[in-house]
Amino acid sequence: MRRRAFLKGFAAIATAAAAGPLIVTDRTIAQTRTIFVNTWGGSWTAAEEAAFFKPFTEATGIRVRTVAPVSYAKLKAQVQSGSYEWDVTAITQADLLRADREGLVEPVDWTVVKKDKLFPNAVYANGLAYCALGTNLAYRKDKFPQGGPKSWADFWDVKKFPGSRSMLNNAVRTVQFALVADGVPVDKVFPLDVDRAFRKLDQIKPHIKVWWTQGNQSQQLLRDGEVDLIVMWNARASELQQQGLPVELVWHGATITTTMWGVAKGAPNRKPAWEFLQFAVQPKPQADFANKLYYGPTNPDAFKHISPEVSRQLPTYPENVKVAIKPDTVAEADQTAKIQERFTQWLAS
Amino acid sequence: MAGELNAAAVRPASLVGGARRNATAWLLLAPACLALVLLFVVPIGYVLLLSVTDPRLSLAHYERIFTVPVYTRVMVNTFVTSLIVTALCLVIGYPVAYVMARRAGWVSTLLLTIVAMSFWTGFLVRTYAWLVILGSKGPVAGAYGALGLGKAPQLLFSTFGSTLGMTHILLPYMILALYAAMRKIDANHLKAAASLGARPAAAFRDVFLPLSLPGVVNGSLLVFVTCLGFFVTPVLLGTPRDMMISQLINQQIEELLAFGFASAVAVVLLIATCAVVAIYNHYAGLDRLWG
Repeated sequence: MRRRAFLKGFAAIATAAAAGPLIVTDRTIAQTRTIFVNTWGGSWTAAEEAAFFKPFTEATGIRVRTVAPVSYAKLKAQVQSGSYEWDVTAITQADLLRADREGLVEPVDWTVVKKDKLFPNAVYANGLAYCALGTNLAYRKDKFPQGGPKSWADFWDVKKFPGSRSMLNNAVRTVQFALVADGVPVDKVFPLDVDRAFRKLDQIKPHIKVWWTQGNQSQQLLRDGEVDLIVMWNARASELQQQGLPVELVWHGATITTTMWGVAKGAPNRKPAWEFLQFAVQPKPQADFANKLYYGPTNPDAFKHISPEVSRQLPTYPENVKVAIKPDTVAEADQTAKIQERFTQWLAS
Repeated sequence: MAGELNAAAVRPASLVGGARRNATAWLLLAPACLALVLLFVVPIGYVLLLSVTDPRLSLAHYERIFTVPVYTRVMVNTFVTSLIVTALCLVIGYPVAYVMARRAGWVSTLLLTIVAMSFWTGFLVRTYAWLVILGSKGPVAGAYGALGLGKAPQLLFSTFGSTLGMTHILLPYMILALYAAMRKIDANHLKAAASLGARPAAAFRDVFLPLSLPGVVNGSLLVFVTCLGFFVTPVLLGTPRDMMISQLINQQIEELLAFGFASAVAVVLLIATCAVVAIYNHYAGLDRLWG
């Protein structure tokens, strides 16, 4: 028995050795073109690998290597120094806008990217829209057998919905939720009435047990039953649901933020980089990514490849977009620093 | 050529040896110096530069730190918290180190093992352990319920929780520093004190305590300076009220990309830390800390 196993193993090694040279030549051809991508690492990159990188390499022969985590400082440093670690970066919409204003990203190369292969609003600040993330009200269903909160107004209503609460320690998100709780329609949140928002926030402050800062912290709080109502990123809540926890997500008044792809200014492999960006926003790869991590596809056609059950949980699902806060990313980016300072001060007092 | 050789021959042998020894010493020091310059001096210089040049050449960031109340508050809070944690570590750690140093055999070994294990357990793990212990479903809340005391007070996400967590994490540093100093105290000194008529309390006060002071100073400096830069524990166990400088720096960089302002805050923290070390040096002497 043991001997047979040994022989089997030996045979496998011998086969691998014989096939070795073939694999190597295969690689050397593909290696003639490689692009480097800056991304977040971990499960995020594992999903990207399956949805974007592998199919792209299969389709074009261009290899993709990743560098983690995403760093704005490095993007700036490599453009200034002219020595590049990566060509493509995944980047939040606000950071891309700033990078574009600072001249750190390439303009869209329309000789590579074809307009008819893109969807409306795919291009923003010289990047391509990649996926969308919801920041929602989430709660423990088991704590509210009579039916849970349905809006930010309910979240603020501590008498009707008793329970410990937690919010995300992020000023611009919180300010928007407060405005909706105060009765501002979701499509009229911008321009932000910051004073009104802080007046509303004063009411909820004594009831917030913890202001969380890290994604896994928010999951731990809800999982351990430390809090019953919480502000949470949609994919994090979906992950808890998949683990069998009685968690419900509210889409009314959620904020939807888009993550982008950008190409570093002057990057050596910018032609294949744009080829990759165009590939990555096509319906099939977008759907594959959404099916893995529950971040919304930016390409509307991707929903053709996603089941209705999963679709309903995604930020870009049309029904969810309709009730979410209508964003104004430029106005938001311009006010972030100022609001954050006031918010930090407000939290500390 | 011959002249040079002659000169070497004429020079006293000890001087030649000294010069060579000097050169060897420098050669041995070179890698450490190079690493320090590249990994420490250069980045700090860059941070200093950023604090007055990003986004433009000005001292506006420093002005903001000292004029906007919340930033001054964070600075003061960081120092007060560090002082409290240092004092707690000293009060809790001194008796433990005393027993470890004075008692031979298994008691000492057991204590040392416990302290070392705590020391080697990642601080993130220890912080999460407090989340469980102090949580609303944890043993403390359970004990309250079992004893019929009603609902436990909120221990988690409070100044208490954050101070407790930081004290727990830094305690091994204090104990090990104290232990190292106390082990060096010759037991015969205490015997001599006793033979001269000192009661144990007096012997401790007049002989042991002064001799253990280097350990107290060393441990306090170590704990205090480490505490100034604490990040994860107050974030996970405390409230936004207890914000420390590192959280402020992290927020400015991660959320606002305000590298200039974050650098200025870092520089203020660095200068304040250096001031503390300088004061220690003036009164205690830094060289005494290491033995």
